[in-house]
Amino acid sequence: MFLLLPFDSLIVNLLGISLTVLFTLLLVFIIVPAIFGVSFGIRKLYMKTLLKIFAWATLRMERGAKEKNHQLYKPYTNGIIAKDPTSLEEEIKEIRRSGSSKALDNTPEFELSDIFYFCRKGMETIMDDEVTKRFSAEELESWNLLSRTNYNFQYISLRLTVLWGLGVLIRYCFLLPLRIALAFTGISLLVVGTTVVGYLPNGRFKEFLSKHVHLMCYRICVRALTAIITYHDRENRPRNGGICVANHTSPIDVIILASDGYYAMVGQVHGGLMGVIQRAMVKACPHVWFERSEVKDRHLVAKRLTEHVRDKSKLPILIFPEGTCINNTSVMMFKKGSFEIGATVYPVAIKYDPQFGDAFWNSSKYGMVTYLLRMMTSWAIVCSVWYLPPMTREADEDAVQFANRVKSAIARQGGLVDLLWDGGLKREKVKDTFKEEQQKLYSKMIVGNHEDRSRS
Amino acid sequence: MGAAHSASAEVRELEGKTGFSSDQIEQLHRRFKQLSGDQPTIRKENFNNVPDLELNPIRSKIVRAFFDNRNLRKGPSGLADEINFEDFLTIMSYFRPIDPTLGEEQVELYRKEKLRFLFHMYDSDSDGRITLEEYRNVVEELLSGNPHIEKDSARSIADGAMMEAASVCVGQMEPDQVYEGITFEDFLKIWQGIDIETKMHIRFLNMETMALCH
Repeated sequence: MFLLLPFDSLIVNLLGISLTVLFTLLLVFIIVPAIFGVSFGIRKLYMKTLLKIFAWATLRMERGAKEKNHQLYKPYTNGIIAKDPTSLEEEIKEIRRSGSSKALDNTPEFELSDIFYFCRKGMETIMDDEVTKRFSAEELESWNLLSRTNYNFQYISLRLTVLWGLGVLIRYCFLLPLRIALAFTGISLLVVGTTVVGYLPNGRFKEFLSKHVHLMCYRICVRALTAIITYHDRENRPRNGGICVANHTSPIDVIILASDGYYAMVGQVHGGLMGVIQRAMVKACPHVWFERSEVKDRHLVAKRLTEHVRDKSKLPILIFPEGTCINNTSVMMFKKGSFEIGATVYPVAIKYDPQFGDAFWNSSKYGMVTYLLRMMTSWAIVCSVWYLPPMTREADEDAVQFANRVKSAIARQGGLVDLLWDGGLKREKVKDTFKEEQQKLYSKMIVGNHEDRSRS
Repeated sequence: MGAAHSASAEVRELEGKTGFSSDQIEQLHRRFKQLSGDQPTIRKENFNNVPDLELNPIRSKIVRAFFDNRNLRKGPSGLADEINFEDFLTIMSYFRPIDPTLGEEQVELYRKEKLRFLFHMYDSDSDGRITLEEYRNVVEELLSGNPHIEKDSARSIADGAMMEAASVCVGQMEPDQVYEGITFEDFLKIWQGIDIETKMHIRFLNMETMALCH
């Protein structure tokens, strides 16, 4: 037992020294640059190294698969059916033309064959529909050494498995604690910093300090996730009195945007840690937080947002009009509330590169904590942000058309598919009005003919 | 990994029974799992998760067709409560494109199968005849969304169409002869000579694997 003692203190010493070293490194290489907005380029180097390793790994898998004659890649997943783009009218006319032996009759009223069109359309949508595809994570075509993204993983070679094991070790035992430490530092600095700034008298100095405290903490959080972000067109960044809208993929979007500009946040008041952060933030500069009950009242929401926007000294609002997280392959319907206010809209497109880690938050599958853990154990989050030129509502447009215009611009820039469907469909059913549209179209065709007939 | 081998034997069996290729079967299996929420069977409620289907006026008939025992080849009438993947594929196989290289008899057989599927959609009480009531029911469903059409016009459209069908099948009728309804043979007669192959099948994309481009 006595022999253990000096050994014991040796271990304790070693532990103490390594922790100090780690912390100093952390401070010097990550936190200090974050405060001053300087970058050493470590993350870009990391990204390049990872890419080389992935390419090697995929090559090995290809070779291995060829030897064993396995099918390696998932089939082209943009849809399994060739859907005909013809309209309802054309198709039905064609069916009738090919069918009708009474061809002289130009306006048949109703044919047994009319049901073909709807039957086939129904079958096609059951086989493969646009909307449900959007709500599951994007599928990759090469492997990034994360077993969670590989659907075809089979044992190929020892070297590859060793590499994967090494990857797991690095991610969970080195990167994860590092990132958690950074996140902790970032959040506590935010809370403490904003509370301290809150005690200062209102004025330019306070605004200046609060902006920078916010920025610094977001930058630290960005490094906590190892997010490698490329900003494009920074001259279009949102200004005071405007509203910034962006497509929504995950809660991290907020951190990504806010680390490059100054924004006022909008959201519901939460309890717990989020609540603490929210209360601290609002002490330093005005954000718009709504109580749960107020969220339902659209007029109240619109009023508060309008008030905020009118005051030119307040920061631009950051809003995600889709209302829910989409898997970053498309942009769904924008809710019109924020477009009715009449302020200048600054659209922003965010596109994630899924190769290093899938940022999509499937809220029906994972809770917030599980999601954050997944993020922190991925290799990195790589994304591009495009600031689009500001848009205002034109005189002859209504809010919905304006929202759609902004949506198309964002979809086009980010290379995402522009969908008409409502993101709320993740949880609810389709409105009956959509069904009636189709029926109206069909019945117009038939009854129109019927009326012609009875008149003649 | 060992499961992969027994799965391919099953896949081959399904290939033989339903005529889909193994790629298509795999894709459909994924779709099945998506619809069923990873359960082994699908119930009627699972079809509510397909938003595009809501647009279709005969949605309920289509969903019903999936559970119809006549289509599943499990009996002369009635509805099943739930279907498994094999049943799903059986229904989908009615919409498989017909291989033109098959012999004439085979083609005729497949054509009959497809028309029978449609017939079952009209004939909801499984008595082997499409009566006036059932016909009216279909027309009403197709036209129900339009508030401008009264029930009467929908009825008269159905009646007119039914009379035309009767004249094709039975020829001239006595004034007091009652037309029972369209039987399957009459149904076939209406469609004689008309090419339905192009309209009653779903074209699968050629699924080629994509190469890595780094």
